[in-house]
Amino acid sequence: MKAGHAQPLEYSTHQNDLNIFGFWVFLGAEIMLFATLFTTYFVYEGRTGTGPSGAEMFEITPVLIETIVLLTSSFLIGLGVHAMRLGNKKATMAFFALTLALGLVFLGVEIYEFAHYVHIGAGIQISAFTAILMTTLGTHGMHVTFGLFWGTAILIQLKKRGLTPETANKSFIFSLYWHFLDVVWIFIFSFIYLKGMM
Amino acid sequence: MSELFPRKQIIGFIFSLILTAAALVVYFMDLSFAAGMTVLLVTAFAQALLQLIVFMHAGETEDKWSIYGNVYFMVGIAIVTILGTLLLFAWDM
Amino acid sequence: MEFFERFAVPHPSPAIYASMVAIGLTVIAIVAGLTYFKKWGYLWREWLTTVDHKRLGIMYLLCALIMLFRGGVDAIMLRAQLAVPDNKLLDSQHYNEVFSTHGVVMIMFMAMPFIIGFMNYIVPLQIGARDVAFPRLNAISFWLFFMGAMLFNISFVVGGSPDAGWTSYFPLASNDFSTSVGTNYYMLSLQIAGLGTLMTGINMITTIMKMRAPGMTLMKMPMFTWSTLVANLIIITVFPVLTVALAMGTMDRLFGTNFFTTTNGGMDMMWANLFWVWGHPEVYILILPAFGLYSEIISTFSSRNLYGYKSMVASMVIISALSCLVWAHHFFTMGQGALANSFFSITTMAIAVPTGVKIFNWLFTMWKGKIRFTVPMLYSIGFIPLFTIGGVTGVMLAMSAADYQYHNTMFLVAHFHNTIIPGVVFAMLAGLTYYWPKMFGFMLNERIGKWTFWLLSIGFVLAFFPMYITGLDGQARRMYTYSEATGYSTLNMVSFVGAGIMAVAFALIVYNVYYSVRYASRNISSDPWDARTLEWATHTPVPEYNFAVVPQVKTSEPLWDAKKRKHVLFPGKLNKIHMPNNSGVPFILGTIFFVWGFSFVFAIWPLVIISTIGIFTCLAFRSFEKDHGRYISLEEVTETEEKLGGAK
Repeated sequence: MKAGHAQPLEYSTHQNDLNIFGFWVFLGAEIMLFATLFTTYFVYEGRTGTGPSGAEMFEITPVLIETIVLLTSSFLIGLGVHAMRLGNKKATMAFFALTLALGLVFLGVEIYEFAHYVHIGAGIQISAFTAILMTTLGTHGMHVTFGLFWGTAILIQLKKRGLTPETANKSFIFSLYWHFLDVVWIFIFSFIYLKGMM
Repeated sequence: MSELFPRKQIIGFIFSLILTAAALVVYFMDLSFAAGMTVLLVTAFAQALLQLIVFMHAGETEDKWSIYGNVYFMVGIAIVTILGTLLLFAWDM
Repeated sequence: MEFFERFAVPHPSPAIYASMVAIGLTVIAIVAGLTYFKKWGYLWREWLTTVDHKRLGIMYLLCALIMLFRGGVDAIMLRAQLAVPDNKLLDSQHYNEVFSTHGVVMIMFMAMPFIIGFMNYIVPLQIGARDVAFPRLNAISFWLFFMGAMLFNISFVVGGSPDAGWTSYFPLASNDFSTSVGTNYYMLSLQIAGLGTLMTGINMITTIMKMRAPGMTLMKMPMFTWSTLVANLIIITVFPVLTVALAMGTMDRLFGTNFFTTTNGGMDMMWANLFWVWGHPEVYILILPAFGLYSEIISTFSSRNLYGYKSMVASMVIISALSCLVWAHHFFTMGQGALANSFFSITTMAIAVPTGVKIFNWLFTMWKGKIRFTVPMLYSIGFIPLFTIGGVTGVMLAMSAADYQYHNTMFLVAHFHNTIIPGVVFAMLAGLTYYWPKMFGFMLNERIGKWTFWLLSIGFVLAFFPMYITGLDGQARRMYTYSEATGYSTLNMVSFVGAGIMAVAFALIVYNVYYSVRYASRNISSDPWDARTLEWATHTPVPEYNFAVVPQVKTSEPLWDAKKRKHVLFPGKLNKIHMPNNSGVPFILGTIFFVWGFSFVFAIWPLVIISTIGIFTCLAFRSFEKDHGRYISLEEVTETEEKLGGAK
């Protein structure tokens, strides 16, 4: 891929190239991680014991907010990588910061959602369904949380060290991670929430 | 790619919003299970491909065969695991 | 104090008390020895902080051998208990603990590190690279494995051993029926070790795909490297499944969830399902690198290149895909429908086909070759008939209707040992003997090695073939005793004798190492077996940077080309070489993970939180770290090369 002249900064050293490749391999493994959770979910969807079902629990509004927030954050980090390839450190940092801010909003809504479920008697211990539901949502949420810390660390390094091959490499890899989490959310949105409210 | 205006990102973002809206059809309308699942599968996988190709730049280097190969292999095994488990435990066969 | 009562062993015995003493004395001896000989600095600088794939490989192998001893002692105890009917050596609780630890130790802490040790040592050398893609991550992989193994191994003296089988099925593994922390140890130690293995998967795949020497296309790679690539592809595919399953099991036991309970919608069979989605591909992870080693060894000692390179590659790729499609054959009898069972029956039988292709290719490699009956070759030749027998009993088990007779009998136990021992263990011993001169600069004694091979083979047959018969006769597995009236006693005694002979064979391996350290000549060639691939084109001992000049490759047998066909392997000039720095972080991270795992096992939540923060601190440290390695100067490279005998 050519950007007019040189290769993008994030690929520019041999180790950078290896890092990006290795991260794609890691994302493959993460596909199987979430696939396992979905496997269990589809069997446990109706195993609600004495607790509520998805149709009784889910509310479209917070789910839609979470989806739009995450989609927008994915768009913003895409703009961030684009700015990075144009060598614009300030714009890159701004877009990354906005992405993380939206990520925080997503988490806020999700925490509210969990609190609501506990409040209506659908805590994680109630049934197999609630266990897998909250574990799947929680695993995604923990990934987002980890991403917030990781992204902040990168933002600090961008500020202190500028756009170097190393910081560009880390930023690009983080963007892969963030996009992947958005893809996982799309499947959660479709096959947990929408399917449950069909 | 050194163009100033992020055309691809904006088009991609609009498309993902459209696909999300399309998926919402199953919530707002009364579809059969098969029809609803089809809508969800198509929109979800379309969005996933969109993210993969447009946002994650999966196809931009010479590693693209390894990257796509890895992703498709994993998705394949994921589907096998899900369907196999449903066959064992959910479908009475 | 009440807090410390939780660490007591719930079901002690004289043997367990003796072990506590032995462990204590050993730890004191090690600490005293290191202090007396002033080796702490050496240990830290050269081994605990290393990121060198060769050193990590050797540490993996050392751990595997120690774990082989522990698993072997477990095995002897089991066979001794069953040697006579109504025996009182082990009561039922202890028998359960011993067969559970035997299984986990042998598979997760003996076989896995054995193959990963070889992958680590050999693969970068075989592809002409200077290390793996992520040396620091590689070190973390090792220490996570080590700490996972340590955590598992202290269970029987601190808090209680797991006792629900190596498969830890629910509801037996739930709090209702496994009241000690044993199963917690199982869940957490495998989780930690599994994380390390997943990282190895990422590392090896990146290394093989991106760091091959110029000219080495995928279809020119040595067969061991191919087998490593495929095995690691399976690793990254299925270890995440184990991660999730173990997490769910942990949550059921410690957080009161209902994943695998029999109430509130829980489904105990889901554990078995997820476990085997991981567990079946796991055994292919073990066997494929073993196949790779056999390919290298058979080719070298037949003085012929491997027959059917392309079909060898294709068969491994097909095996890897099929291995993810067969898992339900481990629970044919558990109530799913006939169509489901039939599907998995067919896929299971199908997997015998590519395996058979490989057997024939090895035989064709040997056909009309100039065979040298060295110890590695003896293991490889013995493997072929013995493994085939194990394989065909596998096809018998694959027929789901027939499996209702075989399931959970000794027939099954015989089958999987019949594939793992001639398949994996023979390959490990062959590989150890084969690569020993490259690793340590002297050869293992051939005569002692041959005695080992024959004793091990005869002992193995005596130990396990009777189990086929008693299994068909109805002897169930995992039963701590049986009565005289069953008629199993004679064959069980034969098994015990066989196990004893195997023990002698393993003792001979230890003796071989001692004898060879003492008496073997250190004046050996860097290519003592007259081999064909790049790892033998290095000096012995292999310098830190492996190759002073990056090799250029034309065919799949670059060293043979250099020796016989005037190919120039190292065409470039000497130059300074960039190498990664050692780091203490992997060891420290591993130690924190041990604390995390231990405190999780005993639900000491403050310590869990503190160690979690510790883990993230290490990650943050790594993120902000500015360590770009160092250069070995041209002078130093030249000096080392001259000392070791010059680039070839």
